[in-house]
Amino acid sequence: MVRRLFEWVMSPMGWIAVVIVALSVFSLAAFGIYRSQQALKPQPIQFPHNLHVGLGVQCLYCHPGAARGPSSGLPTINKCWGCHQQIAKTQTSDKLKPLRDAMASGANFVWVPVAKVPDFVHFNHRPHIAAGLNCENCHGDMSQVEIAENPQVMNMGWCLSCHKERAGGDEEKFIKLTDCGTCHY
Amino acid sequence: MTTELKIPEYKLAEEESGKWGMVVDTDLCTGCQACVAACAMENNIPYVGEEDAAYGRSMHWIRTERFWEGEYPEVRMTDYQPMLCQQCGHAPCEPVCPAFATVHSQSEKLNLQVYNRCVGTRYCANNCPYQVRSFNWRDYQDPRLRPEITILANQFNPDVTVRRRGVMEKCTFCIQRIHKAQDLAKSEGREVEDGEFTTACAQACPANAITFGRIDHPETLVSQLAHSSRGVHHLEELGTLPRVTYLKGG
Amino acid sequence: MSKQISRRDFLKLATAGAATTAVLTGCGPASRYVEREPYQRMPEYTYNGLSTYYATACRECAAGCGLVVRTMQGRAIKVEGNANNPVNLGKTCARGQATLQGLYNPDRVENPTRQNRGAALSGDALEWDAAIQIISDALKNTDPAGIAFLMGMAPDHLFDLVSDLAKAIGAPAPLRFGALGMFEARATLGRAAETMLGRSAMPFFDLANADMVLSFGANFLETWLSPVAFTRDFSKMRRGNPKRRGYFIQFEARMSQTASKADEWIPIRPGTEGLVALAIGRLVAELKGGSVPASFSSVDPLEVASTAGIKLETLEHVAQLVVGSQAPLAIPGGAALGQSNGLATAESVLALNALFGNFGIPGGVFLSPLSPNQDAYHRPASAREMTDFIAKMEDGTIKVLFVHGVNPVFELPASLGFAEALATVPQVISFATFPDETALASDYIFPDHHGLESWGYQRVVTGSSQPVLSGAQPVVSPYFNTRATADALIAAAQLAGGKFAEAMPFADEVAFLQGKLAALVGEPDGSFFAPEINTFTAYFQQHGGWWMTAPALSSPSASNALARTVSPGVAEFAGNGEFFFLPFVSPTLADAGANKPWLQELPDPTTTVMWNTWIEMNPQTAQVMGIDNDDVVEIVSEAGRVEAPVYLYPAIRPDVIAMPFGQGHTAYGRFAAGRGTNPADVLGVRFNEAGDLAFAGMKVEVRKTGKKPQVLSRLESRIGVYGEGMGEEH
Repeated sequence: MVRRLFEWVMSPMGWIAVVIVALSVFSLAAFGIYRSQQALKPQPIQFPHNLHVGLGVQCLYCHPGAARGPSSGLPTINKCWGCHQQIAKTQTSDKLKPLRDAMASGANFVWVPVAKVPDFVHFNHRPHIAAGLNCENCHGDMSQVEIAENPQVMNMGWCLSCHKERAGGDEEKFIKLTDCGTCHY
Repeated sequence: MTTELKIPEYKLAEEESGKWGMVVDTDLCTGCQACVAACAMENNIPYVGEEDAAYGRSMHWIRTERFWEGEYPEVRMTDYQPMLCQQCGHAPCEPVCPAFATVHSQSEKLNLQVYNRCVGTRYCANNCPYQVRSFNWRDYQDPRLRPEITILANQFNPDVTVRRRGVMEKCTFCIQRIHKAQDLAKSEGREVEDGEFTTACAQACPANAITFGRIDHPETLVSQLAHSSRGVHHLEELGTLPRVTYLKGG
Repeated sequence: MSKQISRRDFLKLATAGAATTAVLTGCGPASRYVEREPYQRMPEYTYNGLSTYYATACRECAAGCGLVVRTMQGRAIKVEGNANNPVNLGKTCARGQATLQGLYNPDRVENPTRQNRGAALSGDALEWDAAIQIISDALKNTDPAGIAFLMGMAPDHLFDLVSDLAKAIGAPAPLRFGALGMFEARATLGRAAETMLGRSAMPFFDLANADMVLSFGANFLETWLSPVAFTRDFSKMRRGNPKRRGYFIQFEARMSQTASKADEWIPIRPGTEGLVALAIGRLVAELKGGSVPASFSSVDPLEVASTAGIKLETLEHVAQLVVGSQAPLAIPGGAALGQSNGLATAESVLALNALFGNFGIPGGVFLSPLSPNQDAYHRPASAREMTDFIAKMEDGTIKVLFVHGVNPVFELPASLGFAEALATVPQVISFATFPDETALASDYIFPDHHGLESWGYQRVVTGSSQPVLSGAQPVVSPYFNTRATADALIAAAQLAGGKFAEAMPFADEVAFLQGKLAALVGEPDGSFFAPEINTFTAYFQQHGGWWMTAPALSSPSASNALARTVSPGVAEFAGNGEFFFLPFVSPTLADAGANKPWLQELPDPTTTVMWNTWIEMNPQTAQVMGIDNDDVVEIVSEAGRVEAPVYLYPAIRPDVIAMPFGQGHTAYGRFAAGRGTNPADVLGVRFNEAGDLAFAGMKVEVRKTGKKPQVLSRLESRIGVYGEGMGEEH
């Protein structure tokens, strides 16, 4: 029995079968590794975007870099504290304990970035805002979520489809917006 | 998704003018290596160590070449000649890349090296007559292999990708600085002015031997220098249309 | 299961394995992410994702170039030149560029350490309070005459503080030393200026406006005095005036990087530079007609030519060129001064300038201006003064030694015996940033910040016609548990109380700096004007220093120089070897660059060697001796021996061998330690008349070792020595 199985494995069909099985196993493993890398670490505080947006806080209040340069910036706890120190609930809420603790100990909040691109992509917020895009065009409606979520996979196809659309019929614009060197260097 | 894909009209390289260009005055270059160091610091270029350097794997994007003529006592050293990617208009590296990782930028008229496309065939380096491409033979910037990178990485320029093993790289004409200057100018509603920014090598050069700028604008300093009677293009006879002009002789 | 796997099957299996591996790596995480950490308290003017630029001063050498450092989120990213600083006008050298690899060096002294003179850096960390207590006790419990401070050539503000402290407590004035100063023979230049130019000051050579430059060994394009300023001036000399191209002749036994830029390199015998200068002067005077001053008439050009190993026609040709030029300039320096007759050589070359009539005119010789808050020119210690200092260490006069910014165990010739003398000093406290040889031989290391984390100022000795004080400020917060040496000394003095506290009544280093800058407040002719000290300090930081807007060069008188008789003769050489030994400072590493990996990987400009030491030898000589490229040879002098691989250098006299200084560390971090060899190991104890080391005044033997060749890494192997790798060109 064992011997027959071994002979079958050594036959051409057996080889192909082994390769297919091996490939599937490794692909699954690789996919698993890939997925596990995508899971976000927990945020330092369960920050409710919906609540803040609902209260009328502008995106650029906490992420002012977006209008100015490449990175929108993630706020320091000083920014949080600027408002929260005047809110009575800050002292009592369990949810806000990490903020109180950080403020007392002088520690940093190490935010976990949600919207990110690989480091061979050089994204710049400024021209996107200047071109009239709103934050929610890419980042989704923050009044609907607590912790920020990415509404779409930020891959190159997604970037390019919008770039092509935006170029319209302008050849020069099209060249600029689809040039490899615009984002990769 | 209804936009029609409009492929730009194909033009022969000879018909196109360059956009960015450089002039190197070899009569002024003192070989001091300031450009080499500045380039390495700006572009996150890894050092490879003594052994790999002896194998010719060092990663200088710019190097100062010098050659000897004659023998003692009638020996002479040629002028130092900083050699970097010539950003050829008709680049020999481009057609040989099977992955389209080294492509010509239509908007900036530069030779791009797209790291995320590169699969490391090294055909481009083989075909480059200037020998200015360097290959990442190891993960030189990985702190797991080189613990010292953990702290040295603090100086990494966030505007430049840190390359991994198996990727080809070369001088980009500091494209990150080009983008930065263009972005700033656009945000202020104006054109980039001549001399507003420059490459890391030209910025450092104590002898002012390197000039960088627009070669398609006749009034820029670099255009005027490029038309000097001392101007030479290296290996021009290969039809590479280099964008770097060397000013030779006294 | 007895069936053997055939070669064919093995290949099949291997292929399948390779395919799955490819699948695995292809799907891995595409890239590493950097975690973004927000500032807890964002510094003023700083935005996330945007760079902030700080002006400061470079501390890689003592020239005092201004820097602007690009920082991002509290990290220093890139060094750029300060375009406003008159010394470097926005430019930097390779060492300035690589200063970040010192700041973020993996081998820094991270904590105050009880070192106990161990062979390696001890991990015995102390608290800073304990460290301050130790310094305080050392100051208080030692007889002031037994306290000695040994300082480096930078920074100047700390030297001022230590000088004030030493004066107030009655200790001997601090001594400054640096290898670059030794190889530049600064004491010789100062003495020559005193005798020929009338004042002990740093001569100023107006290279930019000269059109015929004769350099006698001066390596001004490499490390000499202020290389960035000289390189700019060289560039102006060459092409600054569209009507003419400056001509440059270098007299030197080996073609240095500087000489490689010369239109003519004239390889004269070492030690004959002074004679050659006088012979050229005589020929020039005769061509011009009129009287020939005594110094010049005493030499016979034909005899000089034969002594120097060149043809008389060469000297006549040079004289013709000088006579035909508008603004000739002669520069003495480098190995020409590091000879037994170095002082007379320097004087001869200055006399030659006097003969050219270029004192105080554009393209000629001036005296450099003093820095804004300076009373007089203070040169670093000569090697002879260091010898006296070593004697004091040996005879027990020095009880406590404080060392900052200098590494004499590595830099001084081993034969001077600094390391042995250091071992006899009862207490040695080092303030080194890096674990260098001297720091390891100390009882304690109380590490100073890196230059980019520090406050301070640096006086510009030469390099600008304007008086310049370059200002330094921290561009990032300290990375390790280090403390500014000035702060440590102030705290220790205050802890000691009494006269110590009275000498240092400052709140901190910045308060001390403000005291030193106070004299400039309200000064009208400077780069900025401030009515009171706080505004002044703020502008001082913002501009990266303070400088006068107008040139302040002084013009020496030529009559004195011409009246004086100088007779350099031929230098004496110590030892019986066959070869003149010519050590030179590595142009890329200089004295302290070996711990920065990118400086190691910069190819030496002339040889393209990286990461190692080599011995330069004429190919013809080597062939006669049966020595090939990369063969390891031993150099034997009267003082010691050293081994290194040979580099067959086409442009060196057959009777000379040369060796770069900068490698051969036994400590100083992973990139420097155990790499290459140190020519200081073979240097003997000989001085010139000004007390500078006659480092180029030796004759040595070269012995084959028969050791397996050690392959030198060189960039030229990629392109070919004669350009054969570059196709048909050249």
